[in-house]
Amino acid sequence: MRVLITGAVEGLGRALCDQLLGNGHFVTAIDYNNEGLAELDQIWGDKISTIAADLSDRAELLNLLEKLKTDPPFDWVILNAGISATGRFEDIPANAYQKLLRINTEAPMIMAAGLAGSNMINKGGSIAFISSLSHATGYPGASVYCASKDAISAYAKSIRPACAKIGLHILTVYPGPVRTNHAERHAPKGADASKRMAPEVLAAHIVTALKGKKCRLYPGGVAKLSRVLGKLAPNTMSRLMRKIIYEKLGTTRF
Amino acid sequence: MAEPRNILITGGTDGIGLKLAYTYANGGNNVVVTGRRSAEDVKGLLAVNITYIKADQAAPDEAANAIIRALAKLGWHHCDLAILNAGNGKAGDPLAENSRDLINRIDVNLTAPILISHALEELLMASANSKLVLIGSTSHRGASNFASYAASKAGLNGFARSLREEWRGRVNVQIIHPGPIATNMHDKAGFDPGIIKRIFLNPDFVARTIIRKIKKGRSPTSISFAARIIDYLTLRNWFSS
Ligand SMILES: NC(=O)c1ccc[n+]([C@@H]2O[C@H](COP(=O)([O-])OP(=O)(O)OC[C@H]3O[C@@H](n4cnc5c(N)ncnc54)[C@H](OP(=O)(O)O)[C@@H]3O)[C@@H](O)[C@H]2O)c1
Repeated sequence: MRVLITGAVEGLGRALCDQLLGNGHFVTAIDYNNEGLAELDQIWGDKISTIAADLSDRAELLNLLEKLKTDPPFDWVILNAGISATGRFEDIPANAYQKLLRINTEAPMIMAAGLAGSNMINKGGSIAFISSLSHATGYPGASVYCASKDAISAYAKSIRPACAKIGLHILTVYPGPVRTNHAERHAPKGADASKRMAPEVLAAHIVTALKGKKCRLYPGGVAKLSRVLGKLAPNTMSRLMRKIIYEKLGTTRF
Repeated sequence: MAEPRNILITGGTDGIGLKLAYTYANGGNNVVVTGRRSAEDVKGLLAVNITYIKADQAAPDEAANAIIRALAKLGWHHCDLAILNAGNGKAGDPLAENSRDLINRIDVNLTAPILISHALEELLMASANSKLVLIGSTSHRGASNFASYAASKAGLNGFARSLREEWRGRVNVQIIHPGPIATNMHDKAGFDPGIIKRIFLNPDFVARTIIRKIKKGRSPTSISFAARIIDYLTLRNWFSS
């Protein structure tokens, strides 16, 4: 199988890369981190193709799509790259929000429509979008992150019928806290890292969900429970999130 | 009579925004509206007691800056009510939406309202009883014919849900999701709803309901066909107008 992964150097993207390469699949890895890509090249040789692109840069993103068009089509496209911004809404500069919305919302939309719309994904193939558990709970202290992840969730749901018509399957993943540098940077001080899901475990859940052609994945017990509670009492859930996150936020990070 | 309030409405040159602007201005408030067109082009559209700011949301950061600069010039030291209503939509096959469409939809409908909220923070905090209202859409739950539009409105919903908690006790953040309305939005997007436009919500009804919902302040809240029926059944509406 040929798999495309964005944000492949660190965290969940890296875990997916390692797992899929380990299973003998060919991976096209996208990231802005050149050194990280060089390292992947060194380890995996001709099993991997790496492309450096900053997905917050619109010109680079469009170039990337053109470049990908010269490759054979993919089977799985995993749109994983994402960033966060945590702190009081008003304390984070506007340009950080613009960048966040480009990487988390605009780029995956452009890639999905661009790839699926020009037959660059094989029939029977899949696109995976990574939303967030904040879709179920709200996320005071990261309202724009929450916006970006709700947007991508609705987008995935909206394109599902059109994709089904051309034989493509759409998976949306709603992970809770994952034990990555990303979570480390944005979690409130003193939060217990051992309660976060290991990226390798999440990657395995995602691979299983893709194989089973599931539409939605709330990985793990915490995510499943939060989803139900968020549905039953959305406002209570947001208020709870305020208590456990917003009121304990340390420094602003973006 | 109540003190006149400082009210900002984005996208006030047509549709719901225009109706809201007239209603609030006739109520004796200081109303400022924004739009993408030049002041010259909207002359004659707006009553003399409504001030216009050109702020094209296709460039979100410039729009937010333009609004703040203009409000400072007008001498606003606080804002009592901001209704972020400007938006565009386009129907069609989601896989045929090109990158330009997608970028424009997210910039105008999502990034711009977020950056404008951000820029308005000080003015809103300076009012004792201020409200920030976002106009979403019932399609925020997903719509197979309006994929990028649904995404942008879902983004606003997530933003409002989180910021409402953050600003609780300081600014009432609220999102209102109308169902399909018989405004020009659809024609502008090159979409002819045809006969079904007859069942779209009446713009006057929607504007009236938005004003009522802003007074109540609950969020999230939708304006749907059921609300339309309740509106009909309210005696008040049989006797008025
Ligand atoms: N109509 C519906 O079925 C429906 C349903 C649910 C929600 N809504 C939402 O309700 C809100 C108002 O819609 P409407 O039906 O009243 O639409 P409308 O009649 O087209 O009015 C939209 C307003 O936004 C302005 N606008 C458009 N693009 C802009 C930009 N780039 N920068 C600044 N202003 C811009 C328009 O300016 P111009 O006058 O220059 O066009 C106009 O003043 C929108 O957020 C829409 O998404 C509409």
